[in-house]
Amino acid sequence: MAKYQRQFFPGESKPAQNRRRYLDPKIQLKKLRDIPMDDVVRLMGHRTPGQAYGSIHAPIEEATEPECPIRKLVVPIEGAKAGDRIRYIQFADSVYFAPISPYQRAWMYLSRYRGIDTGTLSGRQIIEVRERNLEQIAKELLDNETFDPALTGIRGATVHGHSCRLDEHGLMFDGWQRYLWDDEKKEVMYVKDQVALPLDKKIYVGQPAPMADLKERTTIFRADGYDMNDDKEVVDFYIRIHKLRTLGGYRPFDVKGE
Amino acid sequence: MYAPTAEYANVPLPEIRIMTNRLLSAETTEVVLNAIEGIKHIRQVNMQGESLPAKINSGPAKGHMNNHTERKIIHVAGREVELHCLVGAFYIEVLVEDEDGLNAVVEELKAACDKTIPFGYTIDVGRYSKYRPSLHDYRSA
Repeated sequence: MAKYQRQFFPGESKPAQNRRRYLDPKIQLKKLRDIPMDDVVRLMGHRTPGQAYGSIHAPIEEATEPECPIRKLVVPIEGAKAGDRIRYIQFADSVYFAPISPYQRAWMYLSRYRGIDTGTLSGRQIIEVRERNLEQIAKELLDNETFDPALTGIRGATVHGHSCRLDEHGLMFDGWQRYLWDDEKKEVMYVKDQVALPLDKKIYVGQPAPMADLKERTTIFRADGYDMNDDKEVVDFYIRIHKLRTLGGYRPFDVKGE
Repeated sequence: MYAPTAEYANVPLPEIRIMTNRLLSAETTEVVLNAIEGIKHIRQVNMQGESLPAKINSGPAKGHMNNHTERKIIHVAGREVELHCLVGAFYIEVLVEDEDGLNAVVEELKAACDKTIPFGYTIDVGRYSKYRPSLHDYRSA
């Protein structure tokens, strides 16, 4: 029998290729910026940089664990070993060619990270994980190509804006204005943390990418970018899923052989 | 007995809708409004956009002032207008006699918008808001 090879997404169009790239954990995503770890911690607002991690239980080594084969099998992540609290970061992705969209974020998170819980909503994606692991994941997600300063927002609450028109500087709308455009530096700066508590210092997250570049990097199919209808394999894939789900719901006996 | 408050009440006067391709800053909104202010036959201008709350209304920061830079007072034809949103559309009701009059106003508006709205806009003529009371206006609270 041939060795099973993991597949990620069908299609040859640019967004399909990007989806495969983001999902494949063997591919190292490009690092586009370097936001200091202390600033990442400030942006999330769960603890002050330098402050000790809070805990919800004793370190696993000190605790007496019940006899359990699964516990022996699964290696705990660092945060779980230490008994860290579970904390989160949430991103909102604009429909105007953000590098990634919430649903693919879920696929990517589950494909790339262990010990996480993620939830998809219409315009945002939350990732929940033990605090010290979260900080590393958050830094990775802010530094790499899935983040664009103008079209991706770090928003813990009131995420409204992903489907709004962009403002005059090309930034995604945010009613709480967590980030501003610095016209001198031509960069986006955060002035509030993810739940809109004012930050002690401005945090620069870099320059937005040009729209032409984003259209090549995005996972979003759009009629004014790469149209999904032009990629037959993708369309066939979704039609098949739709058909199987419909049959599964209404005529499960007809699924056989499909 | 109910009587209309003005001659044009209950009459569906044409409305010109200007949708901007980008949400406008307070500064640009002020410039646009001042540019269309002098055009004749305009009865009223309504603006629509994304709401900017004065205070953070949920989450851990609830109650903090929002301090949004675009929520401010602008000056239109010497009057102060307090902006509560990032404007993305103008609904301009015009009082005209016929279609030629309407077209003339549309052309004037286009000329004003071309000069002042960055990143483009779309312009349509129709009726987009209520012009007479309906059952909904008589419901008890």
